Amino acid sequence: MAPVVGIVANPVSARDIRRVVANATSLQIADRANILLRVLAALRACGVRDVLMMPENGGIRAHVERGLMRARGNGASGGQDIYPALHTVSMPVTGTVADTHRATAEMRRAGVSALVVLGGDGTHRAVAAECGTVPIAGISTGTNNAFPEHREPTITGLATGLAVTGRVPPHIAFAANKRIDVSLDSGATGATVTEMALVDVALVTERYIGARALWRTENFRELYVTFADPEVIGMSAIAGLLEPVGRDESGGLMVRLSPNGDGAGDCRRGITTLNAPIAPGMMARVGVTDWRRMPASVAFVPEVTAGSVALDGERELSFSERDRLSLTLRDDAFRTVNVAAVMRHAGQNRLLTGTPVPVAAAF
Amino acid sequence: MAQNPFPLGKDELLKAYRTMRTIREFEERLHVDFAKGDIPGFVHLYAGEEACATGIMMHLNDNDRIASTHRGHGHCIAKGVDVHAMMAEIYGRSTGACRGKGGSMHIADLSKGMMGANGILGAGAPLICGAALAAKVRGDRGVGITFVGDGASNQGTFLESLNLAAVWNLPVVFVVENNGYAESTAMEWAVSCDSYVDRATGFGMPGVTVDGTDFFAVYEAAGEIIRRARDGGGPALLECNMVRFYGHFEGDAQTYRAKGELEAIRASRDCLTILSERVVEAGVIGRDELQAIDREVNALIEDATRAAKAAPLPAPEDLLRDVYVAY
Repeated sequence: MAPVVGIVANPVSARDIRRVVANATSLQIADRANILLRVLAALRACGVRDVLMMPENGGIRAHVERGLMRARGNGASGGQDIYPALHTVSMPVTGTVADTHRATAEMRRAGVSALVVLGGDGTHRAVAAECGTVPIAGISTGTNNAFPEHREPTITGLATGLAVTGRVPPHIAFAANKRIDVSLDSGATGATVTEMALVDVALVTERYIGARALWRTENFRELYVTFADPEVIGMSAIAGLLEPVGRDESGGLMVRLSPNGDGAGDCRRGITTLNAPIAPGMMARVGVTDWRRMPASVAFVPEVTAGSVALDGERELSFSERDRLSLTLRDDAFRTVNVAAVMRHAGQNRLLTGTPVPVAAAF
Repeated sequence: MAQNPFPLGKDELLKAYRTMRTIREFEERLHVDFAKGDIPGFVHLYAGEEACATGIMMHLNDNDRIASTHRGHGHCIAKGVDVHAMMAEIYGRSTGACRGKGGSMHIADLSKGMMGANGILGAGAPLICGAALAAKVRGDRGVGITFVGDGASNQGTFLESLNLAAVWNLPVVFVVENNGYAESTAMEWAVSCDSYVDRATGFGMPGVTVDGTDFFAVYEAAGEIIRRARDGGGPALLECNMVRFYGHFEGDAQTYRAKGELEAIRASRDCLTILSERVVEAGVIGRDELQAIDREVNALIEDATRAAKAAPLPAPEDLLRDVYVAY
């Protein structure tokens, strides 16, 4: 049976206050649909005939269906279907993150071979919470997007197609990823809330969720990252500019931050000032007290006793002195399509040529 | 009391709660009294949407102008219009904000920067561009806020105003109060673009979407957008996703809603409950303090209603008063 690929495209990513406090992008719905059409064409070229998509009322699916209809109508494909058949998960649409959770779980049960995700770090986190062992192929359509790599979506689609059709060995096609599990025991109710982050957990002093995004550096206190990449923006950039930690190495980094980000720092208390890109086009001074490696599978109890927990750059949970918070990094928590490795393998083995060609091309 | 983790001091939090509670009680009272046939004309209630008006208006002063909609009671109260004068206006009494000749959809108070509720959909946007141009010319750092529903956002006046505000770099904030229904038509059937942020982007200004039932989300986003406008950063659009607890107008049977929809949003998306639970849970405000405000607000609305009913109707000779105003 030909593999089926699942698609989660979030219509509401990239809509927050960072469009005003910074110069974050506003990716229009029609552009998101256009990205999806590029992915679909690449998947079909690899032999994927069916895709299963999350329903949404934000307009992406309607634009995609119009694109499919036009492609069939204009005859450009010479009678060949250049796109896979588009199916939608049968479920009610709430317009919240619950849709992503439910659609991902349904697609996993339906046996999809991979999940192509359009969204920011938050969307990818919601998919990773439910995808189990199904690999994710991420496409950045959000704001900071440390998790999905920036790449032309056609290539992500090609790599996904090559991976799920078995033309690239799994040990090359798929990569293991880390995550940080957050556990919050409520002192008031006794209930435990568990959450996770793919890239970073930041503890900030604001005890309200509000506009969610993080940009007031004076409120930053502690930061835990799965990888510290100096090439990304957002909270992971802070860690990345102190001590890079790769996606593929075990463990992450823990950074203690202080409100004294302005000025030359406080030498007496050993505070360093770091100038970091914390949002698109937004360089900010961050006070750094110290940092150290965060080994996998070891529970960390933060020093901060009240505030909010920001997951992948967005405030999600608030906590008080009565609550107990702990964070644990997990290696090998979920899988992604290793696009770079797949495409390199495809090139080296001429997977997209019509007939086998010798390694040394004939002159 | 615990340390205050919020972006507002305790007095400001209490003020926000009092404003939202006043709007809610005002609207609940009108809901009851309109059904009795006591009130002339149509009323469109703001109940359920209080966090939006309040979270935005907390950043404004009397020098800042707002232009409202047919659903304007909440904007009026949050902008500081006298509740007694509003109630009398809705009852059509001569003690009303417009001497009883405007009614629910025309309450105005220029001394508070409230340029009027407006029965014409999308009509507030050009008005606020004019007010913002005046503020810009005077250089007084005033800003203009206009409100529009998801339905009226399709009006030419609104779209032309987005363009005008962008090309003149006016200190305007366009607030789309998206309660999901243009009267009875769900947004996806009536709005060509899929997101209001896309629409703003098309006019060259930033757009932001927030949960309009979360006072802090509105307050925080509006604060940044208004500060930017004040500082000469230009116009922006703020979309507040919210819910209305009653029909488009009083008497609307709401057959366009799904079964159980209203009950669900009242249970899980009541902005007053969300705010009060947040501040009480944080230990900043005691529940008894909120209850004391509730009692005061109830007394205020009761008194405003009693006074409105007792006040005289406009006299026939008042018909020609205030038709023309000299500036």
